[in-house]
Amino acid sequence: MSRWVATCLVAGIAGWLAPAAGAQTLTFSVTQTSIAFADADPDITPSLTATGVTLNYKVTGNAAGAWRITVMSGTDLTSGSASIPIGNLSWTATPSPPFQAGTMSTSVQQTVASGTGNVNTTRTGTVVFSLVNAWTYNVGTYSATLTFTLTAP
Amino acid sequence: MFTGNIRQPALAALVALVVWAPGLGASTSAGNVAVSVTVSAAAKLALGVSTITFVNADPDLVAAIPASEGAIAITAKAKTATGALVTLTVIANNDLASGLDAIAITNVKWTASGAGFTAGTLSKTAAQTVASWSGSGARTGSQSYALTNNWSYPTGIFSATATYTLTAP
Repeated sequence: MSRWVATCLVAGIAGWLAPAAGAQTLTFSVTQTSIAFADADPDITPSLTATGVTLNYKVTGNAAGAWRITVMSGTDLTSGSASIPIGNLSWTATPSPPFQAGTMSTSVQQTVASGTGNVNTTRTGTVVFSLVNAWTYNVGTYSATLTFTLTAP
Repeated sequence: MFTGNIRQPALAALVALVVWAPGLGASTSAGNVAVSVTVSAAAKLALGVSTITFVNADPDLVAAIPASEGAIAITAKAKTATGALVTLTVIANNDLASGLDAIAITNVKWTASGAGFTAGTLSKTAAQTVASWSGSGARTGSQSYALTNNWSYPTGIFSATATYTLTAP
């Protein structure tokens, strides 16, 4: 056997025997599948608040790795041709840490929570969204879809 | 001691990477939340004063008597459909009246400042446009009233009421 073949075999076997980086088991769910912001006078209620969203997460097989929960919106809030910038949507989250506050984006995943190692029992966090209320919003029923993602590493 | 071709270690590393590759890559799990926002039509109007006064003056010296209170600050806020016309109008309930005497309300005129605001003349028969805009927003401007002065006016204390209406369809 040539040295080159032997080297490949050794590298390949080492690759299979080494702890696989993608062997984590992630369990993630969102308790609420929808939230709604009701209309209000911007002078009286400058920021609208929706019911909190509960996130349930569990990470195993991740002894030395980092994990992260992110969120991103597919679009701005839209109603026909009218839109409300998704950047007007922000949140606070508990418990902190590992959860953190942030502002929504349609282009960059925003961190909602992060940590390292395993989360051996299912934990929960609550995310409460707020929307800037403004007289510049045109009449309509606006919508958008937020995607939460648990990733490790 | 390895004496083979210099490319062979690189190829070996590539093979190792290909074999290793299934073990790399992040694991993910996701969930969606639908967001809805309801915005309803609304209109809110604020006037800086509720009463204006025109003091007596020599018609030869003061052809048009300005209101003593000066410019009236106006704030108009509206939420409406995209591109819809928002209007602010004013109409008087009557001529300026003092007992049986009257001064035609059309002698009261105004100038205006601010985006969307226009000058005009009071009327008791038809609402007059003070301002108009397209779509939702909070706008500010002002009106300055003046009464045409005339030797033909009878003496008395004359009054009338002007009603403003902000419409956001």
